[in-house]
Amino acid sequence: MKNFGYLLKEGIKNIWTNRTMSLASVAVLMSCLLMTGAAVLFSWNIKSAMGMVEGNNSIKVYIKQDVPSLKAIQIGDQIRKLDNVSTCEFVSKDDGMKQMKQMVGEQNAGLLDGLEGDNNWLPNAFRISMKDLSKYKETASKITAIEGVDKIYDYQALADKLTHIDQIVGNVGLVIVIALSLVSLFIIANTIRVAMYSRRLEISIMKSVGATNGFIRVPFLVEGMSIGVVAGAIAAGLLHLLYYYVVSSQGISSVFNVVNLNAIMVPVVVLFILVGMLFGALGGIISIGRYLKKEGGAIVGW
Amino acid sequence: MIELKHISKTYPNGTHALYDINLKVDKGEFVFIVGSSGAGKSTLLKLITCEERPDGGELTVNGQNLIGIKRHEVPYLRRTMGMVFQDFRLIATMTVFENVAFAMHIVGDSRREINKRVPYILGLVNLQDKAKCYPAELSGGEQQRVGLARALVNNPDMIIADEPTGNIDPALSFEIVDLLSEINLRGTTILMVTHEHSLVKHFQKRIVEIHAGRIVADTKELGAAGI
Ligand SMILES: Nc1ncnc2c1ncn2[C@@H]1O[C@H](COP(=O)(O)OP(=O)(O)O)[C@@H](O)[C@H]1O
Ligand SMILES: [Mg+2]
Repeated sequence: MKNFGYLLKEGIKNIWTNRTMSLASVAVLMSCLLMTGAAVLFSWNIKSAMGMVEGNNSIKVYIKQDVPSLKAIQIGDQIRKLDNVSTCEFVSKDDGMKQMKQMVGEQNAGLLDGLEGDNNWLPNAFRISMKDLSKYKETASKITAIEGVDKIYDYQALADKLTHIDQIVGNVGLVIVIALSLVSLFIIANTIRVAMYSRRLEISIMKSVGATNGFIRVPFLVEGMSIGVVAGAIAAGLLHLLYYYVVSSQGISSVFNVVNLNAIMVPVVVLFILVGMLFGALGGIISIGRYLKKEGGAIVGW
Repeated sequence: MIELKHISKTYPNGTHALYDINLKVDKGEFVFIVGSSGAGKSTLLKLITCEERPDGGELTVNGQNLIGIKRHEVPYLRRTMGMVFQDFRLIATMTVFENVAFAMHIVGDSRREINKRVPYILGLVNLQDKAKCYPAELSGGEQQRVGLARALVNNPDMIIADEPTGNIDPALSFEIVDLLSEINLRGTTILMVTHEHSLVKHFQKRIVEIHAGRIVADTKELGAAGI
C-alpha cells in the first residue's frame, strides 16, 4: 500500500497521544499472557514430574527403624511369598542415602553431609513391584500386616496428588485467563474508542473527502496491534525471568528435570507477540466497526 | 448531474424533514438553496452526499443511483464532490498546506503529486503566502478559503457547501462566493446553502427555496415556465 508508512506513523502517534490508556491496555494484556504462560509451564512441569514418577513404577516398603537388618531380610522373604508380588529388592539405608544424593544433584549434595553411617535417618526398605496393580490395595494391606513393616510408600498416590494439583491449577488458571482476556479486549476496545474520539474531526474530514473505511481503520488497527506486540514481548520476557527465578530459588530444578524454557524461548516469544497482536486487532475491530457507521456531523458530535 | 424525484426524508425519531422533493441540477450550474432554519436544506445536501438515505423516490448523482448504493461505494461517490462546512473543519495541529494535503493523502496521491498540486490550489484561493500558517493564525474568511482549497484539491465535479459563509464577516462572505463563482466558471457544479439575502441578491444565480420540507420556489422552473 502506497500510504502504509503514513498510516503506521498515525497509529504510533495515537498510542502516544493516548498513552495512559495505552499503558493500561499493555499492562492488562501482558498480565493475561503472563498468567497463561505461567499456568501452561506449571502444568507442563507437573506432567514432566509425573512422567518421572510413573517411569519409576514401583512401590517402596519402609521397614521400622528399630528392626535390625537381619530381621529386615526375613521380612523380605515374607513379602516375596505373597502371590501378587513379582519383584522385591532390598534397599539398605546406605543405598537409600546414595540414591538420595544422586537425586538432589551434586551441587546440593553438601546438604546431606554428616548424615552417613550412624546418623543416617533413612529406614531400610524394599522396592517391590506387583504383577497385577488392580489388586494393589489387597496386597498392600497384606504387606503392612507383616511384623516390622512401617508403611508403604506408593508413587501412585503422589501421581494422583500431582494430577489433582494440575487440575486445580488448570481450572483456576483457565478462569483467570478467560476473565483477563475479556478485560483486555474491553480495555483495548476502549482505548481505541478514545483514540477515535480524540481524532473524530480527522475522521469526519476523511469520510467527507472519500476515504474508505478500510483506510480510516488502519491507524487504529496499528495502534491496537502495537499494544499487543509490546504486551506480548514484555510478557514473554517477564515469564522467562520469573520462571528461572522461581525454579532456581526454590531448588526445584534439583529435584526433577524442569521444562527447559530457554530451548523454546523463540517460539514462545513469537507466539506471545502473535496472540498479543490478535487481541489488539480484535479489540480495535470491536470499536472501529461501531464508530465508522457514523456519518458526517454525527462523527464530530453536532 | 444531480436529480431527485419524489424524494422524502423521515429521520428515525419521526421528524419529517423533506416531502416529495423534485429537483434537477445540470452540470456546471450554480444553485443557491435558501430557506429558514429547520426548513430541510442541510438534509437535502446530506441525501446528495449519502450521509443520510431517503425514504423512497429516485436519487441520482453523476449518473449513479443512490437508492441502494452500497456502503463501500459511498467513498468513491464522495471523491466526485468537495464538501465545504460552516465550521470549516480544519485540523488545528496541521498547517494550511497540511490541511489541504490531507485530502490528497486520503485518496492515495503521492508526495510528488501533493507537492505540485497543493501550492497551485492555494494560489487559486489566494493563500499562497499562508501555506505554513496554522488555522488559528488565520481570519475566518481565510480559514474558509483553506476549507475551499481542501474541497477543490481532488478536482471534484461538484462543490457542496452548507452555509459556508455562516461564520464569516458579511464583507468577507462576498469573497468566498466570488471564489465559488470563479470555480463554477471552470465547469464545477456548485450547490450552496445560505440564508444571507444580500449574497443571493448580489450574485444572480439559480435560487431554490425550501420551506418546511418542500421546494416552494425555483428560479429556473420560473424561467422555464416563461414568467
Ligand atoms: N439527525 C437528525 N435527527 C432527527 N431530526 C433531524 C436530524 N437532522 C435534522 N433534523 C430535523 O429535520 C429538520 C430539517 O433540518 P435541517 O435539514 O438541518 O434544516 P436546515 O438545514 O434547513 O436548517 C429539522 O426539523 C431538524 O430538527
Ligand atoms: Mg442546516
